[in-house]
Amino acid sequence: MSFSDWVNISDPLENSASPYGAAENIPYAVGSGLWEIIGGIIAWILNMIAPGNGVSTWLVSGAVTNALGLVLMIVVFFAVIFIVNLTMIWMERKVLGRIMDRRATRIGPLGYLQCLADGLKTFLKEHIMPDKADKKGYMWAVSIVIGSAVLIAGMIPLSPRWFLADYASGLLIIFAIFAVSPFMILVAGWAQNNKYSLLGGMRAAAQMISYEIPMLLVFAAVVLMAGSFNINDIVQFQMDNTWFIIPQIIGFVVFMVAGVAEAERIPFDLPEAEAELVEGWQTEYGGMKWGLIMLSDYFRGYVVCALGAIMFLGGWAIPFVDGLVVPELVFLLKVLLLFFILVWARGTFGRIRTDQILNIGWKVLLPLAVLNLFIVVLLKLGGVY
Amino acid sequence: MALKYMDKYPKNVALRGWILKPFFTTFKNMIKTTIRRPVTIMYPYEKEWIPDNYRGRPGLVFEKCIGCGICERICPTTCIEIVEVEDETLGAVKRPQVNVGRCMMCGYCAEYCPVDAMTVTPDFELATYTREELIYDPYQLKWDNTTAGMEVHIEEHLPSNLAKGITDQPTSAFKVDRPKLIGEKCISCSRCAKTCPVDAIEMIVVGENAKGKPIKHPKIDDSKCVFCEQCIIICPKDALEINEVL
Repeated sequence: MSFSDWVNISDPLENSASPYGAAENIPYAVGSGLWEIIGGIIAWILNMIAPGNGVSTWLVSGAVTNALGLVLMIVVFFAVIFIVNLTMIWMERKVLGRIMDRRATRIGPLGYLQCLADGLKTFLKEHIMPDKADKKGYMWAVSIVIGSAVLIAGMIPLSPRWFLADYASGLLIIFAIFAVSPFMILVAGWAQNNKYSLLGGMRAAAQMISYEIPMLLVFAAVVLMAGSFNINDIVQFQMDNTWFIIPQIIGFVVFMVAGVAEAERIPFDLPEAEAELVEGWQTEYGGMKWGLIMLSDYFRGYVVCALGAIMFLGGWAIPFVDGLVVPELVFLLKVLLLFFILVWARGTFGRIRTDQILNIGWKVLLPLAVLNLFIVVLLKLGGVY
Repeated sequence: MALKYMDKYPKNVALRGWILKPFFTTFKNMIKTTIRRPVTIMYPYEKEWIPDNYRGRPGLVFEKCIGCGICERICPTTCIEIVEVEDETLGAVKRPQVNVGRCMMCGYCAEYCPVDAMTVTPDFELATYTREELIYDPYQLKWDNTTAGMEVHIEEHLPSNLAKGITDQPTSAFKVDRPKLIGEKCISCSRCAKTCPVDAIEMIVVGENAKGKPIKHPKIDDSKCVFCEQCIIICPKDALEINEVL
């Protein structure tokens, strides 16, 4: 039997085992196509060694193609958001460098490969754990912090044809997983057996819990206006009506401020506070653990910007244009635009004081979020939307 | 409650700009640096412009040097040593050798050099693998493209004089202090005349001794003398001393 009998790329929509049914999904198509090439070559070689064996036909069967295609799909999906995150890190360094009148990055074209060089460097570091640390808490807490950040980044669809799962709970489940990490950060701060980490962990918990409440109220206003938790429905509602930034400009500002605090970025980086708390709750984490924590910070920043784009800037839609034009790219450009504002704020402001942080959270953002919710209820009752 | 907390901030938000003003400042700076590139110089790859009188390691104009040893005496870290070298054209001459590892780049040697043979150079990349390599012999010390800007002259001005418009420099000891002979100690050995780097000393017959041999005393030409004190150092009977005018 020849090569073409084993390696042939079929339409993933015709695969009866596909979990996506008739819905178009580009990462799944790429993943299953990749497996049809890789698995087909393996099956072809096996068949040349032992003609007529059962393994070869099993490798190219629909069920196996679906299962391993899903694995490759996750890799493809993660690779894309990983590259977006590297771009965000590169952009942050470049913009901060220009704001501070200095060179920012040097490795690679336009300094883009600096992050990869840093990643390689952190890979080469030794794995060090404090002697009296709580071993299980030390490793598990940071694993969950990093894992939850990557998980929510993977739960956000880039477009109606680029998603991992289309689920009805949408924003609710994203926010639920977003709220896991403050607790695990507290655990991580305690497990390191270090005063700086403990202080940083307690600050992180206090800050993140108090800023989650205005954020949740903004979520509630958006969901109330769109009438659905599903991200696709929210974007479709904005395409049919107006972007939510117009009626909910207060909500947008509250969301971005709270989002910066949730992502522990300057000016809300009290949990890190390298001037007073060494490295905050990450003090005793070194090497690749530290590198992954930094990466997860950027994943959380990506999630905040992506949610801002989905909830207020119309997601993957372009105004005054019917239909979708390269929706993935439009969406990522909006994410990068929002992230630019975050970086801009980082270059502009100093760190706020510990006593100010809860004041801003509870006395300013919470009343504004309630006001936003009130406006949305009035608009909904008045029949505008 | 929210409004009460806002009382801490400036009342007229529109006039003061409040939060938007720093945003505007940083954005303006970002655009400016993006257009004219950052001020940072990527050092090993691009070099900064260095002026002629930059105080790098000392340099030497080999032909000009007279080997008087003023640099050796004046050096605060005693890193200069006068050594004898066998030159192809000049023969055996005395020239300074500098331990650059000990040099503190003060430029005193260039300042006090009477013939401007010692200069400062723009060479500051002096790292080597061993300390021995840091000892620069007179040939290593040579600097090919010596310009007039590399010569350092003593500029001594009193601020009160400058304010009055007087630009004349106050008289330096190097210009007025000259060696003085104590005649009864002199033994007519004429070592001072041999060692003088500028040939300012001439042995003159001043009389005859009891055996009928001539008594020679050094005569110092003040216009040629550079006040290097070599004659004073070499005199075996301490017959020469400095006549301190100032």
